[in-house]
Amino acid sequence: MGQPPAGARRILLADCDQMFVAVARLADPEVAGKARLLVVGGRPGGRGVVCSASYEARAYGLRAGMPISRAERLCPKATFVPVPRKACGVKHREIRAVLDEWTPLVEPASVDEFYLDLTGTERLYKDEALAQTAGRLRADVHARAGLTLSIGGGTNRLVAKLAAERAKPRNNPEAPGVLIVPPGQEGAFLADHALAEIPGVGPRLQAALRRYGLIRVPEALRIECGAFERWLGPRTGQWLYRRIRGQGSDEVDPVGEAKSMSHEETFAKDIASDDALEAELLRLVTALGRDLRAEGLAAGCITVKLRDHDFKTRQLSRSQPEPLRTDRAIFGAAREMLRALRARRRVAARLVGVSFSALTASEGKPQFTLLPADTRERETPKDRRLATAVDRINAKLGERTIRPARLVRRPGRERE
Amino acid sequence: MKFTITREKLHEGLGAVAASVPTKTTLPVLANILVEASKDGLRLSGTDLDISVSTTIPASVDQEGATTLPARKLVEIVKELPNAAIRMTSSGEQRATIECGKSKFKLLGLSRDDFPAFPSVKFEGGWKVAAKDLQKLIQHVAFAASTEESRPILNGVLWELRADRMRMVATNGHRLARMDVPTSGHGGGQADLIIPPKALEQIRRLFGGDEEIEIGKSDNHLGFRSTTTQIYTRLIEGPYPNYEQVIPRENDKSLTADKAALAAALRRMSIVASDQTHRIRMAFTNGACKLSVQTPDLGEAQEELAVAYEGDSLEIGFNAAYMLEILKYMPTDEVRMTFKAPERAATCEPVGWDDPASYMTLVMPLRLVD
Repeated sequence: MGQPPAGARRILLADCDQMFVAVARLADPEVAGKARLLVVGGRPGGRGVVCSASYEARAYGLRAGMPISRAERLCPKATFVPVPRKACGVKHREIRAVLDEWTPLVEPASVDEFYLDLTGTERLYKDEALAQTAGRLRADVHARAGLTLSIGGGTNRLVAKLAAERAKPRNNPEAPGVLIVPPGQEGAFLADHALAEIPGVGPRLQAALRRYGLIRVPEALRIECGAFERWLGPRTGQWLYRRIRGQGSDEVDPVGEAKSMSHEETFAKDIASDDALEAELLRLVTALGRDLRAEGLAAGCITVKLRDHDFKTRQLSRSQPEPLRTDRAIFGAAREMLRALRARRRVAARLVGVSFSALTASEGKPQFTLLPADTRERETPKDRRLATAVDRINAKLGERTIRPARLVRRPGRERE
Repeated sequence: MKFTITREKLHEGLGAVAASVPTKTTLPVLANILVEASKDGLRLSGTDLDISVSTTIPASVDQEGATTLPARKLVEIVKELPNAAIRMTSSGEQRATIECGKSKFKLLGLSRDDFPAFPSVKFEGGWKVAAKDLQKLIQHVAFAASTEESRPILNGVLWELRADRMRMVATNGHRLARMDVPTSGHGGGQADLIIPPKALEQIRRLFGGDEEIEIGKSDNHLGFRSTTTQIYTRLIEGPYPNYEQVIPRENDKSLTADKAALAAALRRMSIVASDQTHRIRMAFTNGACKLSVQTPDLGEAQEELAVAYEGDSLEIGFNAAYMLEILKYMPTDEVRMTFKAPERAATCEPVGWDDPASYMTLVMPLRLVD
């Protein structure tokens, strides 16, 4: 996989436009499909947050992450639908399958974003311009998966990502959906951005830079690397110095399937009881555990997130001695973390979340162990057989046919 | 407080104590070293509340007293001072003046009353052991303790004190090290103690090989002391797993090899091994050991090594990093390994070790994928 003699890397970022909205419309043509003002991510009157909103709804000021209650006030006529998680997973795989036909180097960056490395495909695509290849690829995905991509391209991931932003119809109605930054133009392209637009420059860094009067990239280009290092620390300083010059990684890692999986729930009402929170955690673990096993993966690291009623958000992560994949073992580990979080601050909570990372293929543990694991977290062959059997039954008879007794009908808190 | 000390002695004393000062702490005084001048000399102490270290060094004390001073700054200052006498005075409780040649520093500290008291440990009725025996155990065993947080008990090293021997055992669940040292009585009773390796490292580092160490215990602390040095550590509580039952007794295949040659071959193979599993394959037949590695997307390597092997032929996978680590601590040029089956524990022992101690390590194989 050497670099072509021409030298320039050909990296694309394909970003699915409003994936959640588009998939919700495909999945529910009657309701979501007909709603121009569509909000994905909760029920009206609920307390969740907006996951995504249609462009029309965004015109009312709606954006992702906004509490549903606020979205309702801003856009009372909007239709609210739940996040079509499962359908999104299916679409993600469909898009991936199409992209895989265009280049072997496809790295999913999230459910709706993929990095592609087309370096070395010049002759395969008969030396056509990268923009042309990207355009054909975009049409292919649209025809076969029914979803629209915005594609940005350049010699590295950063430039591709920013170009994809510019290519989005939302940002520019004239945009053709594809924007390629030619090699050598990275600096000039970056110079046309605000610092806040650069991925990785978050609110805190923006605030730090604002103190030095730096808002846009051209202003920051005048600053020497040493000054950045003094202001922001050596690592961040050097990183930013390179970043604003359009330098970044050009690695596309096709093995990097999903890097993590997560699931969280904002409650309709704040929950104060430890027991009820644990039940919510179990519900999340059960749902996410099923997805984990469906992908043939095991989680090497488990994270539990807790948002208190006052929006203070805390989380704990634990690497597991062995990757886990059964609900009992994962819940055992997750519950311990939840308890630790609660022990530090026991107030009513508005959200609990769980995520799995350090994902590995679950095909048997490679390392034999000397000691029987702790009974508390130990994942026995019996656990694994049970999980497989339950998954099979639920796949056949419906998702929640067999579930933990703790989750069966709790008066007043029935869901779905 | 007023005293004069050689730069060399102070540097040595600070070096001993500074390692126990935590780099990050929410309790400001823990970033300081307690400096106490008395007629016995200068006593320096540091603690992170888990491990506390104190050492006494000779100094010419004009006026007794004590204060605490920021450890890092004190170490840096003393490191940069010329090799001459250092004079330290503190007038108020929280400010010290350090003078050496033409350099003069004033350093702000915190009151000695803020410095946490060391655990109170009863040395009467405790144990007495030779530092060299204890250090030998630590040096060969402590490496095998786990560094993962998931099973705290394995983060400790088990130290068994018996009437006629001491034993240390450590494992992370994938490899294990065990050493026995005979003793001619240590004064105290029988005990099983689980000690954090960080404390053991201080014990290995700070006591002289010819010293005798007194050991005392309280409910959850252990103290080690000689005439000049004291180390206290929290004990890890809980039952240590029954390691005896995992030590194989039926291994019927054995290999004797030159340690350096085996380690060199393993190092070469591990270059091409997976970064995650470090998996290498070893195939034994009469008189030869074939090492090989095959990593998708990277490449492969093979090597043959002349060894003495007895038993049916065997193919077995190992984490090369574990194997190399075990070999590193083997005290002899030749080692003997025993095996049973591809999923059973392998042992490794020194061959011809001229020492009354007995030492064995154990490593679990890796599943081979064909």
